[in-house]
Amino acid sequence: MKRRQGWLFFIIFLLTFSIYLLINFPLQLGLDLKGGSQLTLQLVKEDGKVSKEELEAVNAVLDKRVNNLGVAESNLQTLGRDQLILELPGEQNPLSASRILGKTALLEFRIQKENTSSQLKNLQLQRLKINDLIEQFKSGDKRNEETSILLMDNLTEIENDINYSPNNQQLFERLVEIKKYISNEIANLFNKTNLSGKDLINAGRRQEQTNNNWEVSLSFSNDGGQKFAEITKSIAGTDKLLSIVLDGESISEASVGSQFINTGITGGAATISGNFSAENARELEVQLKGGSLPLPIEIVETNTIGPLLGSKNIVKSLYASICGLIFVGIFMIFNYRILGFVSVISLIFYGFFNLALYSLIPVTLTLPGIAGLILSIGMAVDANVLIFERIREELINGNTLIRSIDSGFQRANSSIIDGHITTFVSCFVLFLLGTNFVKGFAATLGIGVVISLFTSLNCSKTILRFLTTYQSLRQKSLYLSKSTPL
Amino acid sequence: MTSFSFNLIKNKNKIFGFSSFLILLSLIGILYSTFYTSFKKPINLGMDFIGGNELRIERSCKEECENISPDLVIEKLRTFSNNKTLLNNIKLQIQNNNSLISIRTPYLTIEESNNLISNVDKILGPLNYESKNSRIIGPKLGKKLLTNCATSLLVSLFAISLYISIRFDKKYALFALLALFHDLLIVFGIFSWLGVLLSIEVNSLFAVSLLTIAGYSVNDTVVIFDRIRENLKKNSDIYNKTIQISVNESFRRTFFTSITTLIPLLTLIIFGSYSLFWFSVSLTLGILIGSYSSILLAPSFLIKD
Repeated sequence: MKRRQGWLFFIIFLLTFSIYLLINFPLQLGLDLKGGSQLTLQLVKEDGKVSKEELEAVNAVLDKRVNNLGVAESNLQTLGRDQLILELPGEQNPLSASRILGKTALLEFRIQKENTSSQLKNLQLQRLKINDLIEQFKSGDKRNEETSILLMDNLTEIENDINYSPNNQQLFERLVEIKKYISNEIANLFNKTNLSGKDLINAGRRQEQTNNNWEVSLSFSNDGGQKFAEITKSIAGTDKLLSIVLDGESISEASVGSQFINTGITGGAATISGNFSAENARELEVQLKGGSLPLPIEIVETNTIGPLLGSKNIVKSLYASICGLIFVGIFMIFNYRILGFVSVISLIFYGFFNLALYSLIPVTLTLPGIAGLILSIGMAVDANVLIFERIREELINGNTLIRSIDSGFQRANSSIIDGHITTFVSCFVLFLLGTNFVKGFAATLGIGVVISLFTSLNCSKTILRFLTTYQSLRQKSLYLSKSTPL
Repeated sequence: MTSFSFNLIKNKNKIFGFSSFLILLSLIGILYSTFYTSFKKPINLGMDFIGGNELRIERSCKEECENISPDLVIEKLRTFSNNKTLLNNIKLQIQNNNSLISIRTPYLTIEESNNLISNVDKILGPLNYESKNSRIIGPKLGKKLLTNCATSLLVSLFAISLYISIRFDKKYALFALLALFHDLLIVFGIFSWLGVLLSIEVNSLFAVSLLTIAGYSVNDTVVIFDRIRENLKKNSDIYNKTIQISVNESFRRTFFTSITTLIPLLTLIIFGSYSLFWFSVSLTLGILIGSYSSILLAPSFLIKD
């Protein structure tokens, strides 16, 4: 008896501790419950084998970019061997985040090759034309047949000039693709140098004084500043241009004046002025500050949930869980009377222990997670049903109450453990292999299975033992439903 | 509800017949779905597996939202955009007293998806952006998810089989697994039919439900086999009779357990979020079939002629 009382105190202690935990460490809610955006990023590599170091390196660069995004409580974590998950709570339009994160942002400084002036001039002209067409497309009436025919005619002209025609049939995509092609061709007229984005220590942006365009300013490290000076010195006063190439596309070409012929451009700073809008300049700034990605990434999943929908989901889940608990409780009390009452109490304990563990580990609660919790209620009760059925049989066979309870628990033991292990195996595999979405379900169901082993075997027994110390609660009829013949 | 007396020995063939019938129906559904549907897959794979864009958003109307047909909305969308691949494959529904818009399209970039929303806003607006739910899945991720789900299923089936065969002797293990595959096949078949008849799609949560059903069904069967084994130790001379008695003794337990698991699932179906609806339905079906197979089908395998 003493030992049982020890258990009772232990369980009450656990309950108080759980409530304390829940008050002081509130549950973390997933984005589907509080609203926000979630992006899944996939590392792209030809052979598909992304090493741990590469994943870490990409993670580090993205982390810097995310921090510069300025979304509060954003969270970036790796998923599996080649994916990352970015959560942006409260963010309703992940477009700008996706643009900033999705680019490799490999910055290069290149020097023009010999005898390419005429080619370059032609390409620059074509780029001007295509930029113009893109502007027209953006401002024009898109369904107006005449405008699109006109645009298409101009486009075909450019395509003929540069001898390139994309497969894409959509007008806008075609325009963008040709622009990319031209910028790429321009970059190919230049030779790489030893100066790159790695030599930067900072980047900034400011509005140009003459017009509304923005420019991005670069600060080099000491070493980078020297390299920049050498490079500019080598082409100062010649007709060769310096090109700034981002991800293989030339974004700006500039000549270096003859006044720099002796020292090159010193001071360790440069600006890129490539007709940036405020937003584009900010994106480039964030990318350059974070450095370039060692591997390109692709955004493979975007999930956006409005805050209103999130709070609706919370209310719905609460309804479902509470109704589930109440109906299960009614069913159990109806069928098992005092035993049912015991199972309801241990179910309440079960609920608290679960939630406390979620805040302790911590488990982020999502919709599938709540489904796992609700389902685990059913499984927790299953163990009770197994035990109670055994107790009932023993009672019908004419055993005393105390002995029936003891052997009921003992004999149901192995079935309960088997059942819990098979469910736990499924959860474990799901947790290892599943997506983020699935992991939430596996985690709560798995935790539920473990806790239910404790509550159904130990809590129920302790409570039952405690109740049976009262003489008035020892009548057999309180343990069997009315229709059962004794 | 006191005690059951079901004559398992006599009804054994009926049970086998019933199960074979269900399996046959499922196989027909799977074959029909593979060969005679537009998607040519054993089951109608949803966006999680093939990629795409799903959008749900509420309209904020002052009183009641006026009725407008989805076809008309798509027709109007054509005046804003000339993206033919998008407009020819868009599925648009307006539900809940014309207040909830749900749209399914092939894969779109975030930018294209934003454009689509703002165009819809022009037609059906104003929209309540606080209630938006948008999901974009790239086709590459879809393929990955599909293999991921298939591997999870196979690995955990293997792990469960391993556990069962260590825990029981070969015969029991084999029959428990047969009952398990019976359950999974039928749930799969039902969803094949749902895909064919009502174009219900399955997503990664469906795979999760199959896994959960696997755990549940084996658990149920194990309990009954445990009982049979225990009773056979006591009186092994009347073999068939002992099995029948064990089944009848376990009846209440299996019945009650199913009910206590079904109750929370039903509350999920009724009150839960729409994203969990088909998940709950599939689990409900699985638990019904799993209970049947563990109490009636699995023990029938053990009955000797």
